[in-house]
Amino acid sequence: MIEKKNLEELEKGSLLAFGEIFNGKIHPSAIEVLTPLKELGLKLDKKVVLICLMDNFKSFQDLEVLKKSVADEVWMVCHQELVHFKDDLYAEVLIEIVKTTSPYGLFFPATSLGCALAPRIAGKLNLGLCAHVNYLEVEDGKIVMVRPTYGENIIAKLILKTTPVMATLSIGAFSPSFGEKEPKFFEVAMPEGFNWASKIKVRKFKPSVKQPNRLSTAKVVVAGGRGLKSKENFEKLFELAHMLKAEVGATRPVCYEGWVEEDRMIGVSGVTVRPKVYIGFGISGALQHTVGMENSEFIVAVNTDKEAPLVKMAHLALIGDASQVLDLLIKKLKK
Amino acid sequence: MEKIILCIKGVPKPGTVKVDPSTHTLKRDSLELILNPPDRQAVEMAVRLKENYGFKITVVTMGPPNVIPFLKEVYGIGADEMVLLSDRAFAGADTLATSYVLAEAIKKLSPYSLVVMGLKSIDGETSQVPAETAALLGLPSITNVKTIVKEGNNWILIRQTEYGEEELELEPPVVASVLPEVFDYLRPPSLKRLLEVKEKDPLVFTAQDLRLSPEKLGLNGSPTQVVEVFEKKFEAKGQVVEGEPSFLVEKLISVLEQKGIIHP
Repeated sequence: MIEKKNLEELEKGSLLAFGEIFNGKIHPSAIEVLTPLKELGLKLDKKVVLICLMDNFKSFQDLEVLKKSVADEVWMVCHQELVHFKDDLYAEVLIEIVKTTSPYGLFFPATSLGCALAPRIAGKLNLGLCAHVNYLEVEDGKIVMVRPTYGENIIAKLILKTTPVMATLSIGAFSPSFGEKEPKFFEVAMPEGFNWASKIKVRKFKPSVKQPNRLSTAKVVVAGGRGLKSKENFEKLFELAHMLKAEVGATRPVCYEGWVEEDRMIGVSGVTVRPKVYIGFGISGALQHTVGMENSEFIVAVNTDKEAPLVKMAHLALIGDASQVLDLLIKKLKK
Repeated sequence: MEKIILCIKGVPKPGTVKVDPSTHTLKRDSLELILNPPDRQAVEMAVRLKENYGFKITVVTMGPPNVIPFLKEVYGIGADEMVLLSDRAFAGADTLATSYVLAEAIKKLSPYSLVVMGLKSIDGETSQVPAETAALLGLPSITNVKTIVKEGNNWILIRQTEYGEEELELEPPVVASVLPEVFDYLRPPSLKRLLEVKEKDPLVFTAQDLRLSPEKLGLNGSPTQVVEVFEKKFEAKGQVVEGEPSFLVEKLISVLEQKGIIHP
């Protein structure tokens, strides 16, 4: 059994992170975002707390994962109304926690649920909120957040005038880490009169049929951009990926063109990858994309433009037509 | 007639944003604006609802007068009323200060039964404004929406997340952000409507018209502060190989072998 605590008894002024739970399982991004928060916590002398909302503790399957995390504490709120994600109710629970425990920071992984939840809280509490942060640091005792912006090769450094400092953190931008000391677990008792009602009624749920791709953990990534010229050419990447046991990634423009689904997007609003080998076919390398792959161990760029940013950051740049090289590569590998 | 409020945004055309190296601020003169592409999905959603249920559409945008062409474009596609939120005091607003102006304008446009927006803008890419505006209005917000239908008096929305599809039922009004790529076909403006809108001007709301609190507006009212912007420059660091495709492929294969990805 885990110890129950009232809101008033919880540690004040901490760094809180939202631990997204679905079907009794924790989203891997929750473990990732604890890594930079732990560093901030040590510098600022603040505790790091993971908050998990769920319908009931018995159905939670990832307790062992959380025990190994770097969080100092895990706060669990359990109530049958939390069985489905409801934007308004989830936000109200977190708002109540923020009001009572006056945290120093409140962070969300930039998942679709995290991006739905964070702005509701920021709006209600009149707080600033940074989006898609991929680097955090402390300057003069303040949290400074870094993110790419304007969809171009431009990086912005941001601070917030309001407390708690709030941000959504890019998925995959931080590596998971594991602690030596098990966090303390508390079940949070919400106040007596808390209103569990939601204006949202979930009528039906149809789980995704397709398996989520393994892009963020792939050892080899073959990615394509507009330089491949057509959807047909782009689709050949899947054949190559099969041969190399790789995953297929894409740039934002080609996802918007409909060449491939958006869950293959690498970059600011997509996935961050760090494979052993990354091969970019016809990708010029806008920052929007490169922040999501720049930590790859070995980068290959195939492009006609010698001046393209990806060509410059590549360990090996092949100057030529991406679709011709792709065709020929597949042909040779088949032999 | 029931009303849909449709919020759109003019954004810098990709490739036209540059940083002034001396001041570390964005160069405004090279900026070229376009209608935020994900907003086109919200426009299509609103126009389909209008066709199916006979709603009236009010299209709203915030910005200087140079965004009026986007209001007119959306009128051409099917909006019935255009509203421009424009005031020097709005400049430099972050998502909270923007949502504040939008929420107050939406209140003034009451009654309405739905607010639709694109999922995100391609400049800031925050995707915060729909949910932030809803929170300020005290309304439920549903993000990543792919389908909206009416059933009796209620809205039925289908939201898509990485886990699957949820079918949700809500009483109006609701704020919804529409998933990109929902509609393959986005209808263009009609010529007739474009001619009609030539002579029309949008309704303009200033800070004073909306009785807004000055301390919540623009750069000063924005809790998010940019300390610095800089352009990332790349220096060539690796090996650059030129030649026939077959030569390039040989080079690539030998690297893949070295790295143990394929075996000779």
